[in-house]
Amino acid sequence: MDLHTRVESHATVVTISGRLDAVTAPEYEKRIREMIDSGAVSFVVDFDQVDYISSAGLRALLLMTKLLNAKGGRVCLANVKGNVRSVFEMCGFCAVFRMENSVAEALAALA
Amino acid sequence: MIRIEHLSKKFGDLTVLKDITTDIKTGEVVSIIGPSGTGKSTLLRCLNLLEMPSGGSIYINGVDILDKNTDVAKIRQKMNMVFQSFNLFSHLSVMENLTLGPIKLKGMSKPAAQAKALELLRLVGLAEKAGNYPDELSGGQQQRVAIARCLAMEPEIILFDEPTSALDPTMIREVLAVIHRLAREGMTMAIVTHEMDFARNVSNRVLYMDEGLIYEEGTPEQIFEHPQKARTQAFINRILSYTRRISSPDYDLYAMNAEIEAFCEKQILPKQTRNDLLLVVEELLQIYKPYLRTAVLDMTITYSEKTERLELVCESTGEPANPLESERLTDDLGLMIIRNLTESIDYRWIDGKNRLQFLIKTNRP
Repeated sequence: MDLHTRVESHATVVTISGRLDAVTAPEYEKRIREMIDSGAVSFVVDFDQVDYISSAGLRALLLMTKLLNAKGGRVCLANVKGNVRSVFEMCGFCAVFRMENSVAEALAALA
Repeated sequence: MIRIEHLSKKFGDLTVLKDITTDIKTGEVVSIIGPSGTGKSTLLRCLNLLEMPSGGSIYINGVDILDKNTDVAKIRQKMNMVFQSFNLFSHLSVMENLTLGPIKLKGMSKPAAQAKALELLRLVGLAEKAGNYPDELSGGQQQRVAIARCLAMEPEIILFDEPTSALDPTMIREVLAVIHRLAREGMTMAIVTHEMDFARNVSNRVLYMDEGLIYEEGTPEQIFEHPQKARTQAFINRILSYTRRISSPDYDLYAMNAEIEAFCEKQILPKQTRNDLLLVVEELLQIYKPYLRTAVLDMTITYSEKTERLELVCESTGEPANPLESERLTDDLGLMIIRNLTESIDYRWIDGKNRLQFLIKTNRP
């Protein structure tokens, strides 16, 4: 998994590529926790380059939501598609997360 | 048709074929299976005289082909070979690849050779590619051209040396379909292959080679369902299934994924099914993780092309307990994913072990 961040006007855009699984989810959690601890409260997570997610990845996203809720923050997911979307649907996560079809739409949703 | 007696082959001090005795009858399809490096390809190459045997005899229709006076070119025409790496002439078109041998070696006229070539290209589904060059074709198409080229010489027997080993899984089926068709039409064939379901379906007889010998031979049912000898049994079990023992919570998920992907590739499973299987395995390993400090988990994956059943069996030591029972799980996310990707889940306590059996869905869009 590669994780890149950039700060747009009002949100941190997190771009993940590769797999979000039992091996990589702890690293994702660590990086997100650091960003939230540094004061970031508004996130867009771009899944365009993610080709695999397991329940470990879903748990990392739940943790992110929990940390943000405690600080009054928000997250919107973008480009959740294919196999990844299928796993979200199996676990009812499409109703749990706000999801948009592009990063631009996700940023707009958080504005 | 072919009688092989006490055939041996040495490369320097290395004995590759020790003592091979068997025969291949007209119309018979014989698959040669076994671990790598046990002399399967060398046996084919000796039959075609691409390698000169060190000892023994090979008779074709009663004629000893190892006799000094034997016309090797004529023998090769009777017994043509299809190679793993296609071996097409890249500077010649598909049509020219097919007509070169019949014109030069059989003295056929160009129009007759072209008519025959077109007929054979139709047989392998590639008539429209007659004017193309090999580089313009996929690997599967090139191998089908190689088979057509082989047929153009009107051989009495075709020797296939791992004809699908160099192909992507998506292309393997198209080549196997052509070989199946030849088998139905009564072509005599000897096939070295690692495609076990194919060997089981297409062959009249299977030779299991090990340590330079025909270690066991029989009908596909005898070899694949009821192998009698220990090495054959071990090989068949290893080929038709994937087993991994996990005895620590610090297992290497990616190493296991790579092995499972290699198994799926051998079984020609679609990408979606592979992805689903990897996901089920990861979820199960996460569920079993707390047990792995004290228990040992054996995970076995088996696939039958005939029934299209992809099964995953987890056998673990320890007290009788179903690891999937909800009160044992930290949350139900993993279980939800597993349930979505499986047709059935069965838990039993058998022979002092917890046994969970999953039937993986293989028809998800």
